[in-house]
Amino acid sequence: MDKRSNTVIGETLYTERLASGLTICVVKRPGMKKVFGTFATHYGSIDNTFVVPGSSGITDVPDGIAHFLEHKMFEKEDGGDVFNDFAALGASSNAYTDYTSTTFLFSTTSRVQENLEILLDFVQRPYFTPENVEKEKGIIEQEIRMYLDMPGDRLHSNLMEALYKNHPVRLDIAGSVDSIRTITPEMLYHCYQTFYHPSNMVVFVTGDVEPEAIFTQVRHNQASKGFANQAEIDRIFPEEPLEVKKARVEQRMPVAAPLFMMGFKDHAVGKEGPALLHHEIVMGLMWQMLLGKSSVTYAELYQAGLINERFQARYSGGMTYGMSGIGGETLDPDLLEKELDQRLPEVTLRSEDLERLKKKEMGEIIGLFQSPEDLGYVFNSMYFRQIDLLSYLDVLGSVTIKDVEQARDTHLTEKVRAISLILPLEHP
Amino acid sequence: MKHPIQTETGFVGNFQNGVGWYVYPTQRFKTISLQAFWVNDLTSSTAAKGALLPHILKRGTMRWPDSMAIEKQLETLYGATFRADVGKIADKQLISVSLDVIHGQYLPGTPDTLEASLAFLEEILNHPLTPAKNQFDQKFVAQEKELLRRQIRGLINDKNQYAMHRLIETMADGRAFGLRKLGQAEDLESIGPTDLYQYYQNVRDQSPFVLLVVGDIKPETVEAYVTHGWARTRHALGSIESYTPRHENFEVVEKKPVRQGKVNFGYATGHTLVSPEYPALMMYVGVLGGFPHSKLFVNVREKASLAYYAYARLDAALSLMVIGAGIEFRDYHDTTRIVAEQLEAMADGEISDQELHYTLEAFGNDILSEEDSPSQLIGRQMEKVLLGGGLTGDQLIKALSEVTVADIQRMATGIHLDTTFFLTTDGSGRDIDG
Repeated sequence: MDKRSNTVIGETLYTERLASGLTICVVKRPGMKKVFGTFATHYGSIDNTFVVPGSSGITDVPDGIAHFLEHKMFEKEDGGDVFNDFAALGASSNAYTDYTSTTFLFSTTSRVQENLEILLDFVQRPYFTPENVEKEKGIIEQEIRMYLDMPGDRLHSNLMEALYKNHPVRLDIAGSVDSIRTITPEMLYHCYQTFYHPSNMVVFVTGDVEPEAIFTQVRHNQASKGFANQAEIDRIFPEEPLEVKKARVEQRMPVAAPLFMMGFKDHAVGKEGPALLHHEIVMGLMWQMLLGKSSVTYAELYQAGLINERFQARYSGGMTYGMSGIGGETLDPDLLEKELDQRLPEVTLRSEDLERLKKKEMGEIIGLFQSPEDLGYVFNSMYFRQIDLLSYLDVLGSVTIKDVEQARDTHLTEKVRAISLILPLEHP
Repeated sequence: MKHPIQTETGFVGNFQNGVGWYVYPTQRFKTISLQAFWVNDLTSSTAAKGALLPHILKRGTMRWPDSMAIEKQLETLYGATFRADVGKIADKQLISVSLDVIHGQYLPGTPDTLEASLAFLEEILNHPLTPAKNQFDQKFVAQEKELLRRQIRGLINDKNQYAMHRLIETMADGRAFGLRKLGQAEDLESIGPTDLYQYYQNVRDQSPFVLLVVGDIKPETVEAYVTHGWARTRHALGSIESYTPRHENFEVVEKKPVRQGKVNFGYATGHTLVSPEYPALMMYVGVLGGFPHSKLFVNVREKASLAYYAYARLDAALSLMVIGAGIEFRDYHDTTRIVAEQLEAMADGEISDQELHYTLEAFGNDILSEEDSPSQLIGRQMEKVLLGGGLTGDQLIKALSEVTVADIQRMATGIHLDTTFFLTTDGSGRDIDG
């Protein structure tokens, strides 16, 4: 068992890595009623092309299969449903898939050990048949259609399609109604065997628990399953050119006012670990300094009636892609675009603002440990990118105003920029 | 100082003469969470003003004259989260201001962040920017009116919320609980900086006021602040008008360019939160559609594959039940039939031990989990203050555990379909693409 602390954050991470490659992490939260556990795999919607460890050929699978697989893991051989196993113990369970990971979770206020056992077992016991795969298509089709009616979702999806020519991050996480129709049990087993190997996964538990008890249980559970370590999975991503696919995309939908989002494709990709964390913190601070709620530009755009308080400017990314998205609802997308183009390169970046924003980040990372769901999400996503959560404040402290200036100079260029618009059906 | 009243919810404090304070002292959290409420009757003539006011309050104060200055203050407070907005419980409109801040003991130099938070709230609530006597900043009012007008019109952006609002509005048939918490766009037109300020003064000086705080703090600090600063003669909390149905099996179908149909059913239940039968009603709704093991999820989603989601929910204040699902347009009648079949099964007492057990366990988990969330603790306590009772915590879990299948079956006799609202395609939705 490895025990590491950060005195400023005031928290300790207990971790252990098993022979199969599975990592387990525990964060103690004394006094909390709820215990929250996740079992996550480093496998998301962008992992569409890969080489299965031990083989030589390249495998291509349909869009949306990681999300489809997530749904199907809840089905049991006896026809039952894993939700019910958790329900019998008074726990709630769920799962989500994003671009780079799939996470299964439970939340409980009693019988932690039994719940953890169910989590470990159902995620490692796939059961797909032609019938149960067919049945799921109707459900997922409705999920996809639900997203198609969400303007904010379309705004982002359309932007990703415009920014990227080849990288699969350009596709919706759930795939399309057509792509999921081609999914078969064989494909699901193939993906499962490649990406749900323990060496590609992590177990995270937080709550009023004893770390050693969790480790002992997981060790015992895994020992009976006989997983050998697996070689690294070769994930294949197409070459992504500097230029965007389309500089501008528009869609009409029933919305009250236009939605605007400007995106910048990041080319400083391929990082992991501390370098990636540093990059992400710099990008995050840059947007807060340029367009955060305490910035002059935000105040002026707000006063001019061009943006509202839900306006956002943020960076998000992984090891193989990254993008900034800036936008929200506006009555005049053209004017907002013009204003942003003019102002962003000219904002004076001040050290005093940077230092104040670092304080804000510090408060947020301390507060993060109070929300089990958010902590689980952040821990898992950092783990898969080989980032140490406890190093956050040190890396934050190392960011200088020069880093931020440099990020702006390299990131905000015309070539990597695209605009996505959702317009009302009847344009005034 | 008199001894504060300990309530069974873990909060200490009281509410009298229109003024209340409640503190949940605990070392479980690293944050201190504060939320102050003004409570008003929701009326068509004041709803828009009530919705506009919090937006003005967060634009500037005498000490921090613009939102940039306010935001810098929050960043200095280690990224404190500040909200000012409007909420709704049945026919009451709640204007609220909240702040979540890291407790000083976890920060370098151990600053007194409770003191700073109370000072911040005081500044926001009592010292809004008034460039001229007795009026708000004219620009702020004009800008926020425009933004609120857009927000009101933006309801259609969220098809779920839109369909749910239209259902409740239809069921209310002109009664206050059918009004939106944001009011109506046309009521904004006539609001100016002077009359909004007058409205603010009335609210500040007369509306019932409650401050709730969760964190590792001494209750006396909050009590002293509230009794010193807010104890003046205020209106009493008006009781919530209970809902009685005005329709029977009324159907509204609305066509819009959407890709997925939204069907919502609204039911009268015949019981309120303070009724001794309320735990049985909760069990009824839970077995029917509260969870993934419930009848609706299993039959509409898992067996028939008609929907991604299908649920039943209870509005605790009004005691009306809603059922919702997102479906293929052509499946409207099938969905309606399956939902009706599930209600019949409930009435026939077709409830297995497993369904009963799972539902009880799930409610227990939800109820206990609330204790880990400061905002949920505050919300639940506020609901209790407003509704004048209802069981919470372990008492509620105990009451739920005593509910029998016969009790649940008896609930079915009070359940009547008031209105069905179906949002469906106008025939164009499938053709619009990016």
